[in-house]
Amino acid sequence: MLSFWSRLFQRTPPADFVRAYEAFPEPDRRLPWREVPYTVIDVETTGLDPRHDALIAIGAVNVENGRVLLKQTWYSLIRPPPDREPSVESIRVHHLTPEELRDAPPPEAVLAELLQRIAGRVLVVHVAEIDVRFINAALKPFGGRLRRPILDTARLAMTLHLNAQWLGEQSRDMPAPAIELRGLVNALGLPIYAQHNALNDAVTTAQLFIAQATLLADQGRNNLAGLIRAGGV
Amino acid sequence: MDEIARFLRSYPPFDRLPDHVVHQIAGELQIEFVRAGQTILTRGGEPAQFLYIVCKGSVDLLRSGDQVVDTLGPGEAFGHPSLIRGQPPLVTVRAHTDTLLYLLPGAIFHRLRAEQPQFAAFFAASVIERLGYAIQSRQAESNPALFQTRLRDLIARPPVFISADATVGDAARLMRAERISSLIVDQQPPGIITDRDLRNRVLAEGLPDTTLVRQVMSAPATSISADALAFEGLLLMLERGIHHLPLVDHDRVIGLVTHTDILRRQSNSPLFLPRLLQRATSLADLRRYTDQVADAVNTLMAAGARVSDIGRVVAVAHDALLQRLLHDAEAELGPPPVPYAWLVLGSEGRYEQTLRTDQDNALVYDDEASPEAVRYFERLAELVVGWLVECGFPRCPGNVMASNPEWRQPLSVWQRYFRRWIEVPDEESLLRTAIFFDYRQVYGALPAEPILRTITQHAAEHRIFMARLARAALRQPAPLTFFRQVALERRGEQRDLLDLKLRGTAMVVDIARLFGLEARSNETNTIARLRAAMAAGVLSREDGDNLISAFELLSTLRLQHQQQQIAQGLPPDNLVNFHQLGPRERREIKESLQAIASVQRGVALMFQTDRLA
Repeated sequence: MLSFWSRLFQRTPPADFVRAYEAFPEPDRRLPWREVPYTVIDVETTGLDPRHDALIAIGAVNVENGRVLLKQTWYSLIRPPPDREPSVESIRVHHLTPEELRDAPPPEAVLAELLQRIAGRVLVVHVAEIDVRFINAALKPFGGRLRRPILDTARLAMTLHLNAQWLGEQSRDMPAPAIELRGLVNALGLPIYAQHNALNDAVTTAQLFIAQATLLADQGRNNLAGLIRAGGV
Repeated sequence: MDEIARFLRSYPPFDRLPDHVVHQIAGELQIEFVRAGQTILTRGGEPAQFLYIVCKGSVDLLRSGDQVVDTLGPGEAFGHPSLIRGQPPLVTVRAHTDTLLYLLPGAIFHRLRAEQPQFAAFFAASVIERLGYAIQSRQAESNPALFQTRLRDLIARPPVFISADATVGDAARLMRAERISSLIVDQQPPGIITDRDLRNRVLAEGLPDTTLVRQVMSAPATSISADALAFEGLLLMLERGIHHLPLVDHDRVIGLVTHTDILRRQSNSPLFLPRLLQRATSLADLRRYTDQVADAVNTLMAAGARVSDIGRVVAVAHDALLQRLLHDAEAELGPPPVPYAWLVLGSEGRYEQTLRTDQDNALVYDDEASPEAVRYFERLAELVVGWLVECGFPRCPGNVMASNPEWRQPLSVWQRYFRRWIEVPDEESLLRTAIFFDYRQVYGALPAEPILRTITQHAAEHRIFMARLARAALRQPAPLTFFRQVALERRGEQRDLLDLKLRGTAMVVDIARLFGLEARSNETNTIARLRAAMAAGVLSREDGDNLISAFELLSTLRLQHQQQQIAQGLPPDNLVNFHQLGPRERREIKESLQAIASVQRGVALMFQTDRLA
């Protein structure tokens, strides 16, 4: 019989799909960035606090050979717990109604598919902290959490900005880049796909990522380790 | 990825593909980012694995020696020639700016080419094939009937034959029994007899019904291949002034079409024009006739006719008008005292008139003319030029008209004119050449045209003349910027303008005149001159075909633009706002101008314009 304390600190035994995910070897950090497989994800939530809000949609697109593969995309809604259905304000942002979400697959099924899709790949997220916290909170009951390395395009943007200042390509007076996705993508002259849809945002982020990785490679950070130093979480 | 589908759909050829196909394509794309200066494909290197479509930024296509041959922007594609042939690329492709590319995998590209003919035609390997396709697709979308229907498919019933030795009475009875208006005369080559022949050549002549068919038939009958297009049949009937056209397959007549078979529902058919002209009894009637010609141009344009074909139709119609006017003038002034010839010049001389434009004409009369005869021709010219004005052809602002005594001269003076223009090629001569070398005789018993041709045919022997003419033809270079983009001009408040004549069709007209002379050809039509030059080996097939396609396209766009202006009640001009054109037009113009520029570079070398002082 487990004591109260041991029960508090013991990790829930991992589910099978978590075990399978963890069994994959981590990508070799010495590989040139183009030779590493990535999955770029974006999530929609009912709010900003993982303790009270729910993960309700996820979009993903793969990057291989340095190219965004529109053929390898994935999008799913996630059924929120009955007490965490979206508020009216959040519906205005993501346009997902409680009715649609009640028909969505339960978290377990979606998370299992997510881990299967990202196993052995490097995860790329824009402003990773929030998305990662939500996914980890959702994974907790199944004894799992996302593995590193995880790359954050907002961090990569900041590093590129600092590098440009340091190299004298940009005046020190230039303000730091906005971390908002649209602003960053605009600044690089890239197209933006309809916002606040997890899949479109994932594709927009993926484009931003390949541009950033190309720029970094030009500055001598050609491998995965360099990317992680520049924008790892 | 609706945005990507929408992006694709705003550029050819995706704008012509069904929606679901464009969505499928969007779902197969890969997105790649390349930095400025980075090489995407290497000339002679690995064959392309993708069709590349520029999304943002621009790329340069480079030939050997890093010479930029083209710069592609958003919506433009590359890699397909290498992809189609499975051969190393012929050009190096390098990012001009930081560039985002959409990549369509080769396997999907090949599948689309197999399934979508439009897609396949667009991505044909060469510019010439693409421009050719652009012309074709314009025709196809407007009226498939005229340009896709083979005459063979219009045959309603097998032809009815009659022996040449039968009597016209037999022929009439056979026509009545079969309820038809013409019979094919069974002989080699076949003849034809129509109800009109029975009326005009038998009854009106007072011949008996025992007259033999062979005496009054038309033989050999004007015929055309059964596989010719409906429009070709239409043109032939118009040019020959006939209403029945036998269709031939392997030397046998297999059927017959009439103009009503071809244009059953078209009220503005040019085939009604000759009858209208015959019935005209007043200048007002003749004015209406020229209005009808203008309507017929609209009809043909809407039916998707090529501008070169429309030019032929207009030439037939306007020639007929001139013949009628000269005939009427002779009736008024009495028969001409000595033989003369009426020449049309400029665009009319080249069979390229599409709208009623300023008159350009001249009169040549026999050297034996007396002072009274000279006065006769003065009155004749005044009369006809005045009538033409009333029919809607304004006087030439440069006064190049038969009413100007300088351009109404005896044959020997005209011979001197032409010799002088060739032997003393000063600025004035070159100006004259551009108008007077495009001449055609429309009326008159004096064989002025063949006599003058003997002079123009030898122009090519005068190398200084040819070099000067070449230099004049190059004075307007194809309007392209350093990056091979279309160079635009500004006129007052208006920006981004392109003059489709001065910086478009006129460049080809000048080059064609030059090559036509070099080939010692008598042709005056731009396309015919280019063909003659290709046949004579003075112009490469590739250059010639490119110029012809470019000319057709620019002429079409120009005529469309002018018709829109006329429809809006504006005076027609040649200036289009480049950025208001669709991406398809913009790209076609750019490729046309690039084709012209490429020939222009060769012209300077070939005619050694650098040797001129």
